[in-house]
Amino acid sequence: MSVIIRCRGVEKIYRQGAVEVPALRGVDVDIVAGDFATLSGPSGSGKTTLLSLMGGLDRPSAGEITVDGQALGDLDNNRLADLRLRKIGFVFQTYSLIPVLSSAENVEFILRLLGTPPGEREARAREVLAQVGLAGLEARRPSRLSGGQQQRVAVARALATRPAIVLADEPTANLDSRTAEDLIALMADLNTASGMTFLIATHDARVIAHSRRRIEMIDGRITADEGHGAPVAA
Amino acid sequence: MLAALAWRNLWRRPQRTVLSLISIALVTGLLVFMLSFQEGVYGAMKEATLRIFDGYAQLQPPGWADDPTLERAIDRPAALVRQAERLRGVGAAAPRVNAFAILAHGERSYGAAVVGVDPDRERRVSSIASTIRTGRYLAAGDSDAAILGETLARNLDLAVGGEVTVLGSARDGSVAVDVLHVVGLYRSGVPDLDRTILEMPLARAQDTFGMQGAANTIAVGGPSLAAVDGAVPALRTLGRQAGVSLRDWAALEPALREAIELKYAVAMLFYATLVVVVAFIILNTLLMSVLERTREFGMLLALGMRPGQIGAMVWIELLGLALLGCLVGLVVGGGVTLWLEARGIVYPIDPRLLAQFGLPTRLYPALTPLSALFGPVALLMAITVGGIAPYLRVTGLTPALAMRAP
Repeated sequence: MSVIIRCRGVEKIYRQGAVEVPALRGVDVDIVAGDFATLSGPSGSGKTTLLSLMGGLDRPSAGEITVDGQALGDLDNNRLADLRLRKIGFVFQTYSLIPVLSSAENVEFILRLLGTPPGEREARAREVLAQVGLAGLEARRPSRLSGGQQQRVAVARALATRPAIVLADEPTANLDSRTAEDLIALMADLNTASGMTFLIATHDARVIAHSRRRIEMIDGRITADEGHGAPVAA
Repeated sequence: MLAALAWRNLWRRPQRTVLSLISIALVTGLLVFMLSFQEGVYGAMKEATLRIFDGYAQLQPPGWADDPTLERAIDRPAALVRQAERLRGVGAAAPRVNAFAILAHGERSYGAAVVGVDPDRERRVSSIASTIRTGRYLAAGDSDAAILGETLARNLDLAVGGEVTVLGSARDGSVAVDVLHVVGLYRSGVPDLDRTILEMPLARAQDTFGMQGAANTIAVGGPSLAAVDGAVPALRTLGRQAGVSLRDWAALEPALREAIELKYAVAMLFYATLVVVVAFIILNTLLMSVLERTREFGMLLALGMRPGQIGAMVWIELLGLALLGCLVGLVVGGGVTLWLEARGIVYPIDPRLLAQFGLPTRLYPALTPLSALFGPVALLMAITVGGIAPYLRVTGLTPALAMRAP
């Protein structure tokens, strides 16, 4: 199994004035291709911080993270942005769509950043929107979509560039149970059908129940890693 | 892509955008009008001052400006006059003999400038002829006629029909004496002129002062100062070929030029303050919008947009807003100015006070490239440069922190 994300000795300390708050205390973990993994734990356990560091949204205080073989510490902000664009798809809890763009334009936006030609871009946007069950809603702006539909657009956008991995941070947190179930099923189907790798930070038991690999965190440390992957020896 | 996104972002809060546009447009329009009004008033002042006597430009012998003596002369002025009058923008070229003499009448005598003029050409260069209050102006066939300012005539106790004795030095240093008959008195409104200048026929002055057909200066007139200004390079070349210098309006009236420059400097200070204040208001609005959208920028960074691209998008929003506002201001301000340029503005001030500055009671703004473009360009530049602040803020964002922003 090829490793998509590798973390070694990852630490993150937040400074609040003179006070240092450790959020991650030496995390070692590998996310391998095809994983449908959840990262769970109580609030403040470091799930979101770890996801942010894996996605290159922040830099660790110590340790090393590689994505698809590329050490994130070697990259400046621009190259880090390029890596996110090409290798990682994100689904966030909220604020994930550009409000002034339609569903299709939101998906196309990321393809434009990649320099995809217009025809190919439009076709790919239609394809992924249909894949997440939003055919016919291409022209709608986020304000005219339900919460679940918005998250589906976010998933479609994350898939559009065929990334190495999709990182999702509490994707069901703002959804009602039915919509949340649908979204989880959608992501699980995509993982099964296309082998797309998912890592989902969540404390939603339904999401955890769907996952094939469960990574648990407490106080900035991985305390359990069960399922498809195996914990990395410290 | 960035431009399209920036444009849509501008209209996310239409009220805020419209208010910002109105602010920019108002200031732009105001600047266009105020500068045009200044241009118009200063243009009228220049026209009025130069038209009275100087002409819009003068061809002079080298050194005349510093040492205006009869020895410095243009020996064959007729050819130069003809060549100058053939130039585009030049309406007339009037040769003059400029001498200094003692004028005497009865028991009274006064020092004065005696100017020999070609009456027909002089009428097209100077407005003295139109300020005759008593009698008439010089005519082509006149020989011993003279006109002088009312103040000078009063000082000499002279009236139309009276005789005035001219006593001075001729070009060769001999004594120049003549007796002239006063045919007219003028009141130009310029005290210095009314007190010091006597005009007499050119040929007679050339005889009296031993000029042997020479002239001291050639005053240039035309349909407008702008037209003659346009002909200045050609006049300068013509003068260089004939061995004489050209002095444009600014050289002829340095005090007027300095006064106008000072007024412009003071006005520009005011305009610059206005521009800076409005630029700060607009930038503050944009900065607020940037702060509100910090989470969104974090999301865009997370998606893979480079920090510089997001900064550029914000800058484009700012520039788009400024460009649109300036364009509206330019169209509205320019339109109002053009309308007033055709109708004129009656300035609510005592006409006698305006007359002292050679100004008419109805003033006309003049929309020029400077007055039309200064405001928009200054505002655009101020806003563009000020846009560095939101740009730096956006490019300095860390995606994870930005996405946690309140």
